[in-house]
Amino acid sequence: MSAAVSPLEQMVVVLARDLADGELGAAGAAALVPMAAIALARELHAPNLTVGGEMFFNPETGRLYPSMLDDRALGRCEAAETFIELFGHSHHGLDFFFHSGLQHDAYGNINLHHVGGTLHAPKMRGPGAANLSYCHTSSRYYICPTVHSARNFVETVDFITIPGHLSGPAAKRDAGLVNEGPRLVVTPRAVMDFDDTTLRMRLKSVHPGNTTEEVQRHTGFDLAIRGEVPQTRPPTEEELRVLRERIDTSGALRA
Amino acid sequence: MDGQAKPTRRSKVTSLQDAARLARGALEERPELCLGGLFKQSRPIALVRALLAVGADGLHVYSSPGAGFDIDLMIASGAVAQVFIPGVTLENRLCPNFRRAVEAGQVTAHALDALTVVGGLMASAHGVPFQPIDALRGSDVLKHNPLLREIDCPFSGRRIHAVGPIRPRVTFLHAQEADRWGNLRHLSTMVYADQLMARASDMVIASVDRIVPEEVVLDDPSRVTVPSHYVDAVVEVPYGAHPTASFPNYAMDEEHIDAYADLGDAARTGDGTGLDAYMARHVTGPKSQGDYIEAVGGTAHFARLEAEARNG
Repeated sequence: MSAAVSPLEQMVVVLARDLADGELGAAGAAALVPMAAIALARELHAPNLTVGGEMFFNPETGRLYPSMLDDRALGRCEAAETFIELFGHSHHGLDFFFHSGLQHDAYGNINLHHVGGTLHAPKMRGPGAANLSYCHTSSRYYICPTVHSARNFVETVDFITIPGHLSGPAAKRDAGLVNEGPRLVVTPRAVMDFDDTTLRMRLKSVHPGNTTEEVQRHTGFDLAIRGEVPQTRPPTEEELRVLRERIDTSGALRA
Repeated sequence: MDGQAKPTRRSKVTSLQDAARLARGALEERPELCLGGLFKQSRPIALVRALLAVGADGLHVYSSPGAGFDIDLMIASGAVAQVFIPGVTLENRLCPNFRRAVEAGQVTAHALDALTVVGGLMASAHGVPFQPIDALRGSDVLKHNPLLREIDCPFSGRRIHAVGPIRPRVTFLHAQEADRWGNLRHLSTMVYADQLMARASDMVIASVDRIVPEEVVLDDPSRVTVPSHYVDAVVEVPYGAHPTASFPNYAMDEEHIDAYADLGDAARTGDGTGLDAYMARHVTGPKSQGDYIEAVGGTAHFARLEAEARNG
């Protein structure tokens, strides 16, 4: 492949590798990267992965759109969903889902409501979120913001819109969050996961072109770096070719 | 029975202005308005603009779980007191007037979620006192959501949530087609909650891209998404969802929404002249949908959106 791998393409490839054949899942609100990851997984190793849970089943998009809630993206899909599916999907859960927010904290909690102030006297009011159930009724979810800075990765979020691991195993159990919750945090700089015992976020791998020190400097809490951190495995020739030729035909991930 | 004329069935077709006045009167009794469509798909924008033009204030606005342009425009006009919509965003950016008004304490934006809103509409549509919910845990939204109560499940004994009926006084919908009796046909892929809102509301007013002969409806009844029984008035409004989409007829006008949001952001940071001009040109100024189409850029502009809907 001639052109360099973009940070968003690296994110897509990492996420796609973690999705399995036969699973049911959806892309969530900020859908560009997740939708590309789902499409890549279906092309490469998960032909029986079903897209469902967000207004449609199995879209056959000709290119990527910033939002999947767009009939240009859904002109070809196998079936439309309505409110009829909302309660069923939300209670039964999916296999996977994706989230991102204004702030993400050391336990993977996500804030979409306000930064500073209070809910009804906010310094900065965010958009809120529609579905608050998939984060804990689904088997797992992925956090994948397209920005990674010390401003959006903070020790504690100002408001928990989407619960991650709350403040650790005890809080999670008390709240009745029984599933895995956030599994991976995939950003343009790195991949993070969560310590098995404390459920705090830690650095797992650094994308090519970034250093461990840079990632830590752009994160507002300690990433528990101990010794050498491996480099994220870059896209293979095959992954990049399929992604560019069959999924991201308009180059949205390289814009 | 010779000579006796057959009584005539009443057409529900009305004008945009009459529909707006009908809505305003009802909302003065109870200010709960619900908007159909989802984000930038099939939103009843022409009806919203017409309501703003005849004047509205103190509204409590509901929607399917995601809204953006229309609620922001209504807030810019000063028509809204409370927002009961879980996600308020233009998707690629935040809603500028929503942000400004909530941060200034002029509008109350409740913390809600999709199950609460859709569940409340389901309770209303079904005529039952509440809808149980057993999938909300761990979010701070639960500490603030004004529509939820905790109850004991009568079967398992577990603590679960309940939401009471949400009964909008008026719901605005946009569909692609209707007959003159008010039978609505949504032809787009995403209909989401329009059918539910229609059955949950006191009054339903719909805009459509075109009125079709009743034979079209009778020939394919399974395509009717909202039967006329639920519909109080229907208005034929070319491009009535603009700048949101009405598939398969026209695509969303992202440039228009972005330009509007730039003006909103300027107003938020102190320069409201551009936003004032926008409101005069697009909301209070046009006397008809024809005037609006000219203000937006004329038929050539809409031909492009039609082509985009056809070609993707």
